Amino acid sequence: MVQNRNKFIGLLIGNISNAIVHEILEKAVSSKPEISIKYKKEIRNSFEIAKIYRSKINPVNKSLPEKDVQDIKNRIKRIVTNELKLRISKGYKGISLDLIDITIDKKLKELKLEIKCL
Amino acid sequence: MEIIGKISKGTNMDQIYISKQRDGMPIGEYVLIKPITIDEKIKIEEKKKQKYYFYGVKEIEPIKLKIIKEIFNVISKINDKIDNVIITGSFLDEGFKFNDIDILIMSNSNIDHSIINNRLKNLTGVKTHLIILTNKELLAGISTDPLYQSMLSKCVSMRRIIYNIDNKVYRINYKLLDLQLLKSKIVLDSFDYLNGAEVYYYLYNLISIYLFLKNKRITKSEVENKIKNLFGDKDKIKSKIIDKKEFLREYKVIYHELFSVIMDNIRKENGSKQK
Repeated sequence: MVQNRNKFIGLLIGNISNAIVHEILEKAVSSKPEISIKYKKEIRNSFEIAKIYRSKINPVNKSLPEKDVQDIKNRIKRIVTNELKLRISKGYKGISLDLIDITIDKKLKELKLEIKCL
Repeated sequence: MEIIGKISKGTNMDQIYISKQRDGMPIGEYVLIKPITIDEKIKIEEKKKQKYYFYGVKEIEPIKLKIIKEIFNVISKINDKIDNVIITGSFLDEGFKFNDIDILIMSNSNIDHSIINNRLKNLTGVKTHLIILTNKELLAGISTDPLYQSMLSKCVSMRRIIYNIDNKVYRINYKLLDLQLLKSKIVLDSFDYLNGAEVYYYLYNLISIYLFLKNKRITKSEVENKIKNLFGDKDKIKSKIIDKKEFLREYKVIYHELFSVIMDNIRKENGSKQK
């Protein structure tokens, strides 16, 4: 059902965005290793949820249609950029916006949303 | 009635301390002191070894207790330089709805994660999540991160946990709190897509941070009470039988309040670093 598909895509976007913002912010936190270990677990949990929703969106083992991928990418980028820029505007230092595109591509590939042919 | 005590060294006289909460042996009564046998001594040592400390755990299933004992045994056999082992997380909640067993190992020496993880997985068949840290790091964690306080409010440890937080030494790590708070944002973005249990999980996280920033104790019951006061019955939230508009309004107010406090403090931290 189209309605369900949109619902799962929405959930997927929310969870990937959270995981990406988390990953980029984690790099801005100068913390001790044990804290990183703990937070890696949190990211995995958030990303695991995204994986569950990905498995409900067809085609499961192939890349989604180009139009859908672009739409998902744009929506994720908008959410992630807004979240990070909001922090920068409040005086948060050390956030690298350059990481956004690379991290989005990495996550989309991991979820088999986008499989680029060489 | 018999009491087993240990002779301790005094200035003029040595002594044996006995508990004031005892049936019999009132003050002024003469008692006979005699050494215990080797067998009795072994039994006492064994008992001491098997004594674990329960914090915030009222009841626990016997099978889980058996697993905990095995975990303590395995870890202490692998490495004798371990100061303490603490079991925490959803494993200690009633029932069997846990994903893994969270284990904190306190030690100043280098410990190989993989050896312990493999041994424990073979033994229990359950995935374990190890966090190895020193006493100093734990203390810093408790002082700066609500997750640590929440973890230690309900746990079972091999040895007694003693910590004294010095607010002058440790400062809250607001960037880590921001990461924690971020998890709860998903409720504002995708409330309709989440089930009741997920909404409750993120709400619990939000309120833990709320209490932490207000310097309140973070125990399961404290967090649950606050949730009840602000959002109503836990079961209704978990079943999502709530007024969505009202719930989200309250949630949003708290989220933004916390976000502002955290951002203000990050800005101050950055400012003080620049000076």
